[in-house]
Amino acid sequence: MKSLMEKVLNQVIDQKAEADLMFASSKTLKMSAQKKAISTYNVSSTQILGIRVIKDGRVGLSYTESLDEESLNLLVKQALQNTETTEPNAHERILNLSGSLSDELSIPEEEVSIALKTERALELEEGVKKLDPRVSSVPYNSYSEQDYLSHYLSTKGRFTTYRDKSYSITSSAVMDDKGKKSSFYDFQTAHVFKDLKFQKVIETALFHARNLLEEKSLPTGKYNVRFSEDSLESLMNCFSNLYSAKASIDQMNPWSNQLGCEVISKDLSIIDHPSFDRSFRTSKFDSEGVERKLLTLIEEGVLKSFYHNSVTANYFKTQSTGHASRSAGSPLGVYGTDLIIRGKNVKPLPDRYLEVIQMDGLYSGANRVTGAFSVAIKGYVWERGEKVGTFGNITLSGNLMELFKNVEVVGDELLASTDESFFSVPLIFHGVSVAGT
Amino acid sequence: MQLLSSNIAQDIINEGFAFGADFVDVFIERTHNDGMVFKNSRAEDIQSGTIFGIGIRLIHGEQALYGYTNSVDREELLRITKLLGARIGGEGKSLNLNFEKLTYPKVPTLLDKEIDAKHKLAHLKKIDEILRMDTKVSQVMLNFTKKKQLIEVYNSEGLFATEERPYIRLFHQVVMKDGNLQTEAFYGPGAIGGWEFIEKLNTQEICANLLKQASTTLYASPCPAGKMPVVIDNGFGGVIFHEACGHLLETTSVEKKASVFWDKMGEQIAHSAVTALDDGTVPGAWGSLSIDDEGMPTQRTTLIENGILKRFISDRLGERKTGHKRTGSARRQSYKFAPASRMRNTFIQSGSYQLDEIINSVPDGIYAKKMGGGSVDPSTGQFNFSVQEAYLIKDGKISRPVKGATLIGTGPDIMAKISMVGRNLELMAGMCGSVSGSIPTTVGQPPIKVDEILVGGEA
Repeated sequence: MKSLMEKVLNQVIDQKAEADLMFASSKTLKMSAQKKAISTYNVSSTQILGIRVIKDGRVGLSYTESLDEESLNLLVKQALQNTETTEPNAHERILNLSGSLSDELSIPEEEVSIALKTERALELEEGVKKLDPRVSSVPYNSYSEQDYLSHYLSTKGRFTTYRDKSYSITSSAVMDDKGKKSSFYDFQTAHVFKDLKFQKVIETALFHARNLLEEKSLPTGKYNVRFSEDSLESLMNCFSNLYSAKASIDQMNPWSNQLGCEVISKDLSIIDHPSFDRSFRTSKFDSEGVERKLLTLIEEGVLKSFYHNSVTANYFKTQSTGHASRSAGSPLGVYGTDLIIRGKNVKPLPDRYLEVIQMDGLYSGANRVTGAFSVAIKGYVWERGEKVGTFGNITLSGNLMELFKNVEVVGDELLASTDESFFSVPLIFHGVSVAGT
Repeated sequence: MQLLSSNIAQDIINEGFAFGADFVDVFIERTHNDGMVFKNSRAEDIQSGTIFGIGIRLIHGEQALYGYTNSVDREELLRITKLLGARIGGEGKSLNLNFEKLTYPKVPTLLDKEIDAKHKLAHLKKIDEILRMDTKVSQVMLNFTKKKQLIEVYNSEGLFATEERPYIRLFHQVVMKDGNLQTEAFYGPGAIGGWEFIEKLNTQEICANLLKQASTTLYASPCPAGKMPVVIDNGFGGVIFHEACGHLLETTSVEKKASVFWDKMGEQIAHSAVTALDDGTVPGAWGSLSIDDEGMPTQRTTLIENGILKRFISDRLGERKTGHKRTGSARRQSYKFAPASRMRNTFIQSGSYQLDEIINSVPDGIYAKKMGGGSVDPSTGQFNFSVQEAYLIKDGKISRPVKGATLIGTGPDIMAKISMVGRNLELMAGMCGSVSGSIPTTVGQPPIKVDEILVGGEA
């Protein structure tokens, strides 16, 4: 693949331009069950090559899924044509990096037969149903695996290789008990088949679905709220523009002028950690081939840094933090790796609080420019350390930036999200608006 | 020129049948995408790209096996077919197919007019200039996308069908700032057609509406929370039907009994004021198709008539599993997805009320002038969606603007509470994400009144 990529880049060099290429390929297998049989079985093998050409300071992008000579010629031609319409951007250049980097995760494992995979995939449906007769269906259940490979090559000579193998399972439970309905789903990812915890996923989906059968609305008012790690991760991802230098340039970051200022509670520090030992997948370099390192975003409430790629770094006259993000089919952006929220000044849990285990409608109800959001929530009511009820059919409204000013740390253990890419000490947010009865 | 020769399609289908499949289809797609992102008063990203791939589906009873690849190589395609066929593990005989090209009535589209990039850029600059005449505007983002999708479908019934679908969309986003207050407003018209669609848009009016929406919400106070009557205006207001009911009528949910309406055919599932359709034949509409992704000519399907459930939205597998006839609704984002029953242009039909009459009937409630997006859990019918532009209604009159409103409820409950339906049906383009990916769909409705809905806002 490297020689093919070099051939493409040589065409660009002949046109007195510079460029970088992103290549990605994947092979996948996915199956799901219905009525005790495998109802869908998907296999795939795909590839894509994307180019970013910079000529006379102007950027043009193109991609193709066909790698025959004609398609590759067209790829370069289209990207060069696109440079003719854009306006020069003095900040966008191919980084002056050379040499090779590799990040290939290869964990030895015994070959797993398709028969065993099928048997376990069937469990993700039947295993739920047999545990409770009130389960009316298991609409979301799947076993999937993916082999992924990507390369980056620039006209400056930077070449990277990233390889990963992952497995994923999902199960769910839709319950119907005398007209009361509920549903919940759970998932897990792993790098080797034997690490998949089928029974745990089944039991987690069923556990919450059973409890949610008893969900009740709550009176409208202000509540103490604890988000599950998955819910908190969703919130942080939805508002990732808060840490983005690109969003600052685009006037889409409400913290753009707050570097060095206290933006959240002094008890909290937020770190972007590409090599945290508890992460599902560490990451050695970004999409421009820049080596990653730990980045403190917020230290004891004070905003310390934004995510930068080379373009935003040039704009702000700083260095790339190794957070360039780009797929073969998308332009250059910035994105974080794994977030860690650390805390100090641990307080006891309040007597009463809501634990949010499910949020719906976050992305449609969020205003990234202001930090405001409104979501439908489900979860548990806790009183004096005991779960005393289940709530649903209510909404939670707030502003993420304001929420993080009125928060208390209630434990010192870092808890992980299900996908093991987000870690946080337990937090209680005070005075959160909830609308119900 | 065909994307895949009929000989190779025949070989794939025969290979699938040799393993005991009782139906095989092959979906071939070549899509050319052009995109321009205009922000910070300049063209930031201009991108072109081509996706090409082949999806092979074997059906055996109610089991569907699907594989896809970028390769057009016969051996690779047969390898994938064998991988899928091995799952059936049966035996069958080969077919001697004589593919006949399907002829079908074409849904009228616009002209698919092409225009050079410099003219597009000039148009976007003009919009940017108009919007930035308001000094409170801190950012304008315009995302222009043009897509030309060419599809071919072969199947084991001897069908060969092909369609070219030109899509065009211009998404407007404006950010407004005044001191510490900030807000944004969106508008994203789209159609099946070319640049002539953009030329026909009333740019001045669009900009004026965006600025009005942004300046209204910029100074709006938080929305009060609680259960109250809500008047939802036309156009993107139709997202309420899309989320609260439309997804629950797709056989994709019905076949798994994961829809609360799965056993309600012929029953009253909505207020008698409600008649709703899913229509793939609306000329030029963003969600229209001439044929679906299984090669079936699309239809105009009455889903609910005077509150009675009349039809589900069905595809081939949905028909097999539920017995409900196909409606030309098999859709997918690309060859990377097996087709599934999906909505096209879905809307509530016009009623008899003027908007003023509907507003006047509400003593104390919310007027949702412009809706945002939303989502639904089909298994419970629980949905939520955001309101972009909202006002209080006091004593039958529109009062002050409010922000941060979210509407939540369950489909069956809300459909029974739509008590008034207005006259001015309007359709609006959107993207719908579900089991077969993200696809262009249109939502729409005239103004409606929901007697009671939970409004999430400030406590």
